[in-house]
Amino acid sequence: MVDTRIYEMFREIGRDLYTANMISSHGGNLSIRLGDRVIIKRRGAMLGQLKPHDLIETRLDKNDSGVALASTELLVHRTVYMNTPALAICHCHPRTAVAFSLSRDDIVPIDNEASYLLKKVPIVMEEFASGTPQMANKVADALRNYKIIMLRGHGSFATGQTLDEAFFWSSTLEEACQIMLYAKQIDEPFIEYRKMSEAYNKF
Amino acid sequence: MNGWNGKILDIDLTTLSFSSYPLDMEMARQYIGGRGLGARLLWDLVGPEVDPLSPENVLIFTNGPLTATGYQTSNRFSVTTKSPLTGTVLDANSGGYWGMQFKKTGYDVMIVRGRAEKPVWIEIKNSEITFHDASELWGMRVYALTEKLSQDNNRRNVLCIGPAGENLSRIASIMNDRDRALARGGPGAVMGSKNLKAVVVEGRERPEIVDKERFKFMLYETRKLLAASPLTSQALPEFGTVVLMNIMNNIGALATRNHQQTQFEGAEAISGEELTEKYLVRNASCWACPIGCTRITKTGKVEGEGPEFESTWAFGAQCGVDDLAAIIEVNSLCNDLGLDTISAGSTIACAMELSEKGYMDSDLRFGRADLLAPTVEEMAYRTDIGAELSDGSLRLATKYGHPELSMTAKGMEMPAYDPRGLQGQGLLYATSNRGGCHMRGNMIGLEVLGLPKLIDRFQVQGKSSFVILNQNSNAAIDSLVICKFINMGVADEYFARVLSAVTGIQYATGDMIKVGERIWNLERLYNNREGFTTKDDTLPPRLLTEAAVDGPSQGWVSNLEPMLKEYYRSRGWDENGVPTPKKLAELGLAELVELQRS
Repeated sequence: MVDTRIYEMFREIGRDLYTANMISSHGGNLSIRLGDRVIIKRRGAMLGQLKPHDLIETRLDKNDSGVALASTELLVHRTVYMNTPALAICHCHPRTAVAFSLSRDDIVPIDNEASYLLKKVPIVMEEFASGTPQMANKVADALRNYKIIMLRGHGSFATGQTLDEAFFWSSTLEEACQIMLYAKQIDEPFIEYRKMSEAYNKF
Repeated sequence: MNGWNGKILDIDLTTLSFSSYPLDMEMARQYIGGRGLGARLLWDLVGPEVDPLSPENVLIFTNGPLTATGYQTSNRFSVTTKSPLTGTVLDANSGGYWGMQFKKTGYDVMIVRGRAEKPVWIEIKNSEITFHDASELWGMRVYALTEKLSQDNNRRNVLCIGPAGENLSRIASIMNDRDRALARGGPGAVMGSKNLKAVVVEGRERPEIVDKERFKFMLYETRKLLAASPLTSQALPEFGTVVLMNIMNNIGALATRNHQQTQFEGAEAISGEELTEKYLVRNASCWACPIGCTRITKTGKVEGEGPEFESTWAFGAQCGVDDLAAIIEVNSLCNDLGLDTISAGSTIACAMELSEKGYMDSDLRFGRADLLAPTVEEMAYRTDIGAELSDGSLRLATKYGHPELSMTAKGMEMPAYDPRGLQGQGLLYATSNRGGCHMRGNMIGLEVLGLPKLIDRFQVQGKSSFVILNQNSNAAIDSLVICKFINMGVADEYFARVLSAVTGIQYATGDMIKVGERIWNLERLYNNREGFTTKDDTLPPRLLTEAAVDGPSQGWVSNLEPMLKEYYRSRGWDENGVPTPKKLAELGLAELVELQRS
């Protein structure tokens, strides 16, 4: 039985992801690690309208009956947990960031907030960009070095100690991408205000 | 060479001789330095047959690959030994300048073995080692001795014991740079048992950094992040660690009168705000630290560093004392005598409760500020009532037939945070490898300060995951060795990148946490080997059965049992709290255990 406090945390972050336009009605997923277990959104459930029965608890290291109900992205969540110190994962489809992921190998924010917080977000590519072991390994490998990464044309995976933290990195990335988009539209020369800014590319 | 000096100094005090040999670099890669390297070496050197106060115990002083590089807070060092207070593995670490200077002598590790026939002090000038007769220094207090041996912050640094260490108090600290302490678990008694009064270091060697450009960038980014965090740029510099007094009191998690209450009506009078307004002379910093949380305070009787939050709490709320001047003075006295302030204060609080309840015959009562300093004096010299308090509260309370009144975990006095109002903190104390300690993982960040984000402090399910991650992370930070306060503004991923830049070995964040997990499990194996079992992973009965009587934590006890079960499972340990063969193999520890068995 999932603790009420944990359910409320899922419900609130899920609702915020939807209202922030970072997922479609049934898109994205959230999970947390409880030691050797994972709590993850039920397959097909709506993150914006989560009910207590929409949270599935399953083993981290092997299958049990929970896998029949869990999100299709369970494999990638498990792989990330087994290869990084993450305790929470937020996967969503931030639209501007997805658009930028189609034409570059990493996203280096230009605004102050995201420069502080993210420095650089790498973009990984996988032909079958959902639910495969290949994709899971690539995402997990990138998340060993970065707290948020983009899967090209698909969406972001962010990790943290809490869902709150993982959501923070996700919304920061989308905000940074929107600013980059506006700057592109304004189309005036960029005045660098950060020292050593070139080092962000190598972070 | 790439962060590490690559050299171990091995001193035998019995023969007054020394040798130097290369550091095993594979061991360094796996355990980094500081606490990790100390634990790994202790595993080989000190077995269960060794009495902590015998010549067979060792003191292992270690620095880390970041020490003295100039990275923010890279001033710290560590000592590892078997604790005379708890019988567990013990590491204590300290800031100031000594650690930086020790690194510059060209050594990563100094092992001190044996026992000198008569008191000695050691001088290390670069790689040159000299043993000096300390007969005339024996009995000197820390402040006078530090001055006599010519402490000079950036050039020559003194580490020593005071009378408490000489008299083998099991809560004696080792002091460095006058007011900094390797405080907990009684390392000062181990040094005293070896007839070693002081170690003075002077060095000229600077550690090499492989990727200087990357290091420079991380230095710059860390500076920005520390400036951006209100904790590291405002709260700590302005109020010091005592900023926590009102915060903890307001949420009902400030242990009061030997943990009988969770709020102290006198908290405001001993708060960081009060300290700053009435007693602060100026701020000070450890080497290479931009935070500057150190307070130089002055009363009519003393002027010096401190007190920190835990010391203020131990002699304040825990003893029911709201006289801040008396607390500042007794803190200074502890430093001068070489006593751990947390254990000293909490042991006095235990004696106060024993006396108030009629189990012990003494004048000690909660609120008796006037008795703090005289009692501490007697503890250091083992005279009068101090003889009974000198070895900590568990031995004292046991003597009087009431061990349940000792607020300890594994025999070490717990700090200020009451586990009834902070469920994760309770699990942290109970599972800490060196006993009741707040520096083996920081649940205050998550449960109170919102670092990185606030979690529910009363939540039980899932707490073990946070505790484990923080224990592992802290073990890694203790091995770099840097100050945990930097972690209030800068995340682990930065430390991994700095370590990679300095050493040239690529560490991902997860690699560093894995190093921390390896260290934690090795420390656990050490304690298992010493005979510690699941029954030792517990808290005083008061915290498990007596609900908080008032305030925001009213009605709560520590729900340790379900958290502990979850913790063992999540750690990959069996139900007896022993790491499973699978976990040992995953961490590269299986061979070590097999070797031990054979």
